[in-house]
Amino acid sequence: MVRPPQAPLPLMLALLLAAAGASLVIGKVWLPPVVLFDGLAAPKPNLAWLIVTELRIPRTVLALMVGATLGLGGAVLQGLLRNPLAEPGLLGVSGGAALGAVIAIYFGLAARFALVTPLLGIAGALAAGALTFLFGRSGTLTLILAGSAVSGLAAAGLALALNFAPSPYAAYEITTWLLGSVAEREWSQIVLCTPFILAGWLCLAATPRGLDALTLGEAQAESLGVNLNMLRALALAGVALSVGAATAMAGAIGFVGLVAPHLVRPFVGYRPSRILLPSAVFGALLLLVTDIAIRVIPTSAELKLGVLTSLIGTPFFFWLVLRLRRLSP
Amino acid sequence: MTVLHADNVSYDIAGRSLVSNIDLICESGQFVALLGANGAGKSTLIRMLSGLERPSRGQVRLDARAIRAIDRRVLARRRAYIPQNARVEWPVAVERLVALGLMPQIPVFGDLDRAAWRKVEAALALCDLSHKTGQPATTLSGGELARAMLARALVGEPEIVIADEPLSGLDPKHAMDGVARLAALARDGRLIIASIHDLTLAARYATHVAIMRGGRLLAYGPTASTLTSSCIRAAFDVDACIQGSGAQAIVDFIARPDTPALHPFPGLAPA
Amino acid sequence: MMLCNDVLLLMMVPKDRIASITYLAHDAVEALLPGADTGVAVNHGTAEEILLQKPDLILAGTDSAPMARKLAKAVGARVVEVEAAHSFADIRRIVRQVGEAVGEPGRAHVLLAEMDGNLAWLASHQPARPLRVVAWSGSQAVPGRGTLTNEIIAASGADNIAARLLDNRYGSFGLEALLAAWPDAILQGETRWSGPSLQDAQSMHPLIERYWHGRRIAYPDAAYACGLPQSADAAIALRNLYRELPAGRLRW
Repeated sequence: MVRPPQAPLPLMLALLLAAAGASLVIGKVWLPPVVLFDGLAAPKPNLAWLIVTELRIPRTVLALMVGATLGLGGAVLQGLLRNPLAEPGLLGVSGGAALGAVIAIYFGLAARFALVTPLLGIAGALAAGALTFLFGRSGTLTLILAGSAVSGLAAAGLALALNFAPSPYAAYEITTWLLGSVAEREWSQIVLCTPFILAGWLCLAATPRGLDALTLGEAQAESLGVNLNMLRALALAGVALSVGAATAMAGAIGFVGLVAPHLVRPFVGYRPSRILLPSAVFGALLLLVTDIAIRVIPTSAELKLGVLTSLIGTPFFFWLVLRLRRLSP
Repeated sequence: MTVLHADNVSYDIAGRSLVSNIDLICESGQFVALLGANGAGKSTLIRMLSGLERPSRGQVRLDARAIRAIDRRVLARRRAYIPQNARVEWPVAVERLVALGLMPQIPVFGDLDRAAWRKVEAALALCDLSHKTGQPATTLSGGELARAMLARALVGEPEIVIADEPLSGLDPKHAMDGVARLAALARDGRLIIASIHDLTLAARYATHVAIMRGGRLLAYGPTASTLTSSCIRAAFDVDACIQGSGAQAIVDFIARPDTPALHPFPGLAPA
Repeated sequence: MMLCNDVLLLMMVPKDRIASITYLAHDAVEALLPGADTGVAVNHGTAEEILLQKPDLILAGTDSAPMARKLAKAVGARVVEVEAAHSFADIRRIVRQVGEAVGEPGRAHVLLAEMDGNLAWLASHQPARPLRVVAWSGSQAVPGRGTLTNEIIAASGADNIAARLLDNRYGSFGLEALLAAWPDAILQGETRWSGPSLQDAQSMHPLIERYWHGRRIAYPDAAYACGLPQSADAAIALRNLYRELPAGRLRW
């Protein structure tokens, strides 16, 4: 009996731990680790303690949560649609979430009731995902087309929001926010969005059996006792909840959900159920390392996280398209 | 004894009737070949018999219970379904592909135990795939993939195997090999239902034939008495002669002497 | 055709000599010279309007100069290109330039004398210990060296800590840098638009609330948008606001 190469999960977890440690030490303000440790021991508050507990830990936690959400969401969507190009960003889910969040923030709803931002983000993600699923069910090409149509719709909505932005400055802010970042978010915001993200993960965690069965196509999966409608609903709800809430906090961050499942797939023998956890871990690692890189790269205006993931992800996307073109007749 | 009963089932879609008023009773030990021209409604009937499609009227019963009322996983353990042109979507190992057939048997959170792997090995051996165990399933040839799908269907030891054109795309050797396996399974006490285009193979191996045309059942019964040249003419609009019987049977098509020579472009034919 | 020029124009010549001002100028005018633009025609920088209004002189900003020259040819007007002012030296230059251009050098002299008087007063009343401040309304686009805001802060007798850290005119100045620099006060620009924005959310970060409570100084954005003789007034206003800060250094 041949076993597939084991997932380097322990290795990835070790790397993740190392990156999390680095993320607490590295920042725009350089404080030697010794100073940081002294600060944590010294009477509080002090500079090191504040920077670590109020800025770097929330930033790290958020990068991990958003990265894991995107990695997991991409893995589930790719398994569900049996399509290596499925990803929250390409399916318009991130765009829908961003539109919802922008509406919440800029039309003053968020100021009145903080929960509105994640809720509208989730609603946007849900609507966009449902539209894409509805129109793109008959194959790779139609799915990607439906995804870009829905992304276009979300972009049009965002353009409309920009058009009616209450001030030119707000318009500038919307565009900057859309670039995606995990910097300087408050604990209270993170606490607000976490239950939705966890609920989303829980939905997605119920999908692996169905995803495995879908290796045989929809008809056979159904004959094996998989409730396909339930599976689709779980995947859609899970992606909408987690990606919607994550996008409401961090803006639209693309390509993590595309890259992470691909890179871990060969290590788990291509089994859709087995890529979920490694893909989530890898997504978290990828986003955290990218965020650390942003702090190290010296730029006068901070390089945005979503910009860097796109810069890394787009060549990968091209490579995927080339590879698919070679594989398909 | 397992009895699958299509009780006056019909299937309409968008005002068009794909299957009309079909009555069919099949039992363990039978190998029922479903015959009919393209578009006769075979695939739709097969999906209804498998419990995957709800009939517009009538119902399918498994041992006197409405098949749609049986729990999905319980049903999945009792009958296996192989769709037309079954494909694998990911390059999983062949053994993993076959192991998917055990999904209804294993608990929600659990992997395969030793006994389950033995079943997988047995199913692979039964379908002559033991040497392909670790190979990515996407690299199998058409015949190998068809056997892998059969192994996947058999690994859970179902009472009923329903296959939609399991021989399509196979070369003569693999087609014969495949149909022989299905016949062997029926002799083993299972109920096998398969739509088949090769009438000779149906005549040789099927215990029963069900012949469809335009969504209706023209004839159903033991192969020898049901698969007649008149029946074939009614179903396929071709004349056929049937020579021999049992394992030596041959169904041959005959060009009708009165059939006019067809001009490839009728509009340009000289008047 | 540039809102700062238009404010300057309104200070120099009577309304009846003004063919039109840009529609963008209204908010700045409201902040600096309330009511000064009532009854003055506006333009949207379109060719049609210029052809209709037939000015003798077009004051253009650096960005709008090429377009202004094309239009000027059609109506036979002169074009004077006025650069944006980022320092008091710049202000002196452009006020004189516009004064010459509109034939009111005396008026320009008066305005500059007033400004220089204000600056001299500020310089002679320097606080014993300069406050360390930053104009911070969120981590993006914080004004550093070479900005008008930096110049106004310097004139007010405070130290712009962002001027030391940033090598660009505007740059990122994150919360980490803010905490590390630990300014005595944070200046926060207030726009006349009161719509909700992310910036509000960010400048409300709990750390700012917790440590700079009572040490946040709101200034009108409009007064800092254009380098004008009034920029010295903005510096004086800022100096007066410092008095409202709690005494002594900011403690943890």
